[in-house]
Amino acid sequence: MECPVPQCKQREPTQLGRKLSRLRPWVQTGFLGVWLAPLGQWLHGIPGCVFHCYSCPLSSFGCPVGIAANTAALLPVAFEIPYLLIGMLLLVGALGGSIVCGWACPFGFVQDLLGRLTTRKIALPGWVGHFRYVVLVGLVLLLPLALGFKGIPFEEQVVSICRLCPAGALEAGVPYSVQSLLAGNAWLMSGLKTGILAAFLVSALVIHRPWCRIFCPLGGLLALFNRFSLFHLRFNSKECIECNLCRTRCPMGVKVDQKVNVSGCIRCLECATCGALEPCFAFPKETSAATPREPPPSKPSTAEPPDS
Amino acid sequence: MKPKRVPQPPLNPALRDPERHEFWPGFITAVIGAVLLFAGARHLTGIDTVEGGSAWETQLIRAFATSGLQYADRMPPPAPPRLDDPDASAEALDRWAREQAAAAPPSWRIRVDLGAKQACPT
Repeated sequence: MECPVPQCKQREPTQLGRKLSRLRPWVQTGFLGVWLAPLGQWLHGIPGCVFHCYSCPLSSFGCPVGIAANTAALLPVAFEIPYLLIGMLLLVGALGGSIVCGWACPFGFVQDLLGRLTTRKIALPGWVGHFRYVVLVGLVLLLPLALGFKGIPFEEQVVSICRLCPAGALEAGVPYSVQSLLAGNAWLMSGLKTGILAAFLVSALVIHRPWCRIFCPLGGLLALFNRFSLFHLRFNSKECIECNLCRTRCPMGVKVDQKVNVSGCIRCLECATCGALEPCFAFPKETSAATPREPPPSKPSTAEPPDS
Repeated sequence: MKPKRVPQPPLNPALRDPERHEFWPGFITAVIGAVLLFAGARHLTGIDTVEGGSAWETQLIRAFATSGLQYADRMPPPAPPRLDDPDASAEALDRWAREQAAAAPPSWRIRVDLGAKQACPT
C-alpha cells in the first residue's frame, strides 16, 4: 500500500495501522446490528453508550442523552439518580474513552459515509469542540431542568435536545413520516427538525463529522475520559521520524503530533498508521516503570499549543 | 485523492510526553461504573406504576422512550355518560358532575405506564 502522504519516501504505513484502517468500517457496520436490533427492544430500559435515538423503530438500547434530559426534567417532580446511565458512561469511558465514537456510534458512521462522498473538507479550529459542553450543560441538563420547574414535562418542552437532534430526525422522524404518509395520515416531522437534518447532511459533506466535533454532548463527555482511560494511545519517540503522517491522517483535525489523548480525539486510530502512536492498554505493572527519556536535544520546541 | 500533507511543526519527538496512562485511575473508575450499573439494574425508584408498586429504573427509562410517563395534572377527566345511552339520564349527568367536583386529586404526581408503546413524540 502506498503511503498517503505525497512525497513521503521515509515511511510506509505500518501493518497494524493499515489493518485497523480497513477494519474500522466493518466494525462500525457490525455494531449497527447491535443498535438496530428490532428484536432487542426489551433493552430499551438500558442506556446505550452511543448517540442513537431510542425512538427509532429499530433501536435496541435507550439514548443516553435523551435519558439524561428526561431525568433532568423529572427532577422537580421526582428526584431520581440515573445509576444505570452514570454507571454505563463511567464504565465505557474508563475502559476506552471515546473509542465508541470512532468504532461503534451509528451516527458517527453515517457521517463517515457522507464524508467519503466529497474529498475537500473545511478545517475547523480546535476550540469549536468546547461547544459540546455548552450543549451538554445548557441543552441537556439545565434547560429541561428549568422548564421542569415551570411544570412543563419533557415531551411538551418546545425547545429541547430531542427536538433539535439530527440523529432523532434521521433515525425516528424520517421513518415515522414515511410510515405516516404510506398509511395516509398527516403526521410529518416538524419543519425545524427537517431543516436541521438537511443542514446537517449538507455540512457532513464538507466537514468531517460536524455533529461529533461541534455539538455531540455524549462525545464530549466520553472524551473527558481520554486522559486516563485504560485503552489509550502511547507515543513511542524511537519510532517517530517526524514525517507527520499521524497528523495528516487524523480526520478530526487533532494536533496528534503534539498530544494525542485529548478531548477532540474519537480514537479512530487512523493516526496509528505512522507507527509512532501505539494503541495500548494500561496495566498495573507498567505504572512503576519510568519511561526512559533521551537527553534534551538542541532543537527548539516552539509549536502551536495542542488542542484541549 | 491524496490528503494534503500537514507540515511538521518544530517539535522534537524526544522531548514529547509518551502519554503513558496509569492503570489505577481508569480501573477504579471502571469498577465504580460497573457497581453503579449493577445497582441501577436493581434500583426501585420512588415513582409508582399504573399497575401499582414502584417502577424499576429500567422501567422508568423505557417510559422515556415510549411516552409512558403520566402526570397527574395533565390527566384528562373521565368522560361523561353518553347522552344517547338510554340509561344516561339527566340525573346520571348530575351525579357524574357532583362526583367530579368532589373527587380528591390523585395521590400521585407522576407514574409510569408500563403498557405504553407510543414512540416519543419529540
